Amino acid sequence: MLKKIFPSLGVVLVVVAMFLGLPSIYSNQSFLFNLMLYLALAEGLNIIYGFTGYLPFGYVGFFGAGAYGSAIAVTLLHISPLWGVLWGGVAAVLIGIILIPLLRLSGAYFAIANLAASQALYYVVSNPALEKITQGPYGIDLSSVYNANAAYYALLGVLVFAMVLVAFIRNSDFGLCLLAIKEDRVTASLAGVNIVRARSIAWMLSAFVAGLCGAVFGWYSAVFYPSTVFSLDVSVFTIVFVLFGGIGTLAGPLAGALILYSMYNFIGISTPQYFQLFYGLLIIALVLFLPDGIASILRKGKVYVP
Amino acid sequence: MSHNGKRLLKVEGLVKKFGGFRALNGVSIDVCEKRIVGLAGPNGSGKTTLINVISGVYKPDGGSVEFDGKSIYRSPSHKIVHSGVNRTFQIPRPLAGLTVWDNVRLAAVYGCCEADKREIIRKALEIVQLDGLKDFISGGLTFAQQKLLGLATALATRPRLLLVDEIAAGLSHQELDWIAQMLLRISQTGVAMIVVEHHLGFIDTLTSDVVVMNAGANLFRGSIHEAAQNEEVVEVFLGR
Repeated sequence: MLKKIFPSLGVVLVVVAMFLGLPSIYSNQSFLFNLMLYLALAEGLNIIYGFTGYLPFGYVGFFGAGAYGSAIAVTLLHISPLWGVLWGGVAAVLIGIILIPLLRLSGAYFAIANLAASQALYYVVSNPALEKITQGPYGIDLSSVYNANAAYYALLGVLVFAMVLVAFIRNSDFGLCLLAIKEDRVTASLAGVNIVRARSIAWMLSAFVAGLCGAVFGWYSAVFYPSTVFSLDVSVFTIVFVLFGGIGTLAGPLAGALILYSMYNFIGISTPQYFQLFYGLLIIALVLFLPDGIASILRKGKVYVP
Repeated sequence: MSHNGKRLLKVEGLVKKFGGFRALNGVSIDVCEKRIVGLAGPNGSGKTTLINVISGVYKPDGGSVEFDGKSIYRSPSHKIVHSGVNRTFQIPRPLAGLTVWDNVRLAAVYGCCEADKREIIRKALEIVQLDGLKDFISGGLTFAQQKLLGLATALATRPRLLLVDEIAAGLSHQELDWIAQMLLRISQTGVAMIVVEHHLGFIDTLTSDVVVMNAGANLFRGSIHEAAQNEEVVEVFLGR
């Protein structure tokens, strides 16, 4: 057990060193920020999808809830933006609690219901009738507390939290119980596992990470609209990154996000229409031929993937 | 004979409907501490459904189930497991992507309150003689080995009542004998059992207390030899 913690610790340290060091070599902070954002989101999605098998297509709903939760706390309650990040996480968990009954569904039904829930949330938030609280469709302005550097390091903190969480789950009895739920719910419950409780905890942890990410994203962006933080692209990107890297591992989603998001930036910005085609084909190919991602290639070669 | 010792399980008038079909239609059965009860009956008589309802896999639609004086009627499976009941499956359903050790570890960690988990896992694997395969991925085991793994997993939750669903189906004669001896040894450690089986010879080596079910209700209780003399029992097995 302890033997397996060291590789995970190594992965966390490498990632931290990378994002501490890179800003002094590479000046495009916005790219590094977004890269970090997707690394953290990928690990957050990994908690629910990688370990329990529930695929949340509406994962962006938690991201948006986090962005708005913290923005409302900062603008209306005048909380400092750093504390506001925590409020964003809490807001996402509250949405997660409301959506817990969705976990009674499985497979595609769950994915679609969750997608619908995130869209419902989007339309509620962007409703002009709520202008006093959410500013409706006109967007949020946080420029009074804008601090790009602080937000950058806050996100690094969120990323470390997400990685440590996944490393802990992967090496604990709790992780085993989540994997068992993914394999066979009946067998898991006859082993004494309280399935409803275990999957709800995983669901809320996953929501919490996305909420923190959304909150920091809002802070970093200073001005954002409902259509930005509830954009389905966020769900799709995160899912593709996790699938590509390998679900249920710590390093897989990190590698997936790192490789594909970098590619997106270097190819996708100039010719976005081809890139979407490429992504669509990639999802199909992954699901058909490599459902466990690039991590499974290494595993076939008897390499332990942390 | 069936009322020696304290009554551990008491099922009365249990009903389970699937749409308009009553798979269980008022079945009653009781099991005393440390005793083995054989459960026989033709295909579709509701034996496996009864096991599924007692273990919480299906929710019943009427009647009562008491274990050790407390109602476990419509309880979720994990609570039933914690109260001291577990079962095996006719068609084994291991956690196929996990190792043999992790399958049993899950049960020892979540289903059993004793502190020394390693010892519980080791003992459970030793009883079913899978200790040599503990690092194997359970999906790669043979059908018979997966059945044994199911038994080990159930044992790791330290049940006082074990529901064994057709563990002998599809096994060879030597394996049958070997499994019968294993179940007897488990029973001697103080575990009560309901053993569902088509193979009447197998039941006969385990117990002289047999319940025969037909059409979702109990038809007869007594020894195999008495059952063979009973006209109704002969009729449901062989036809008129």
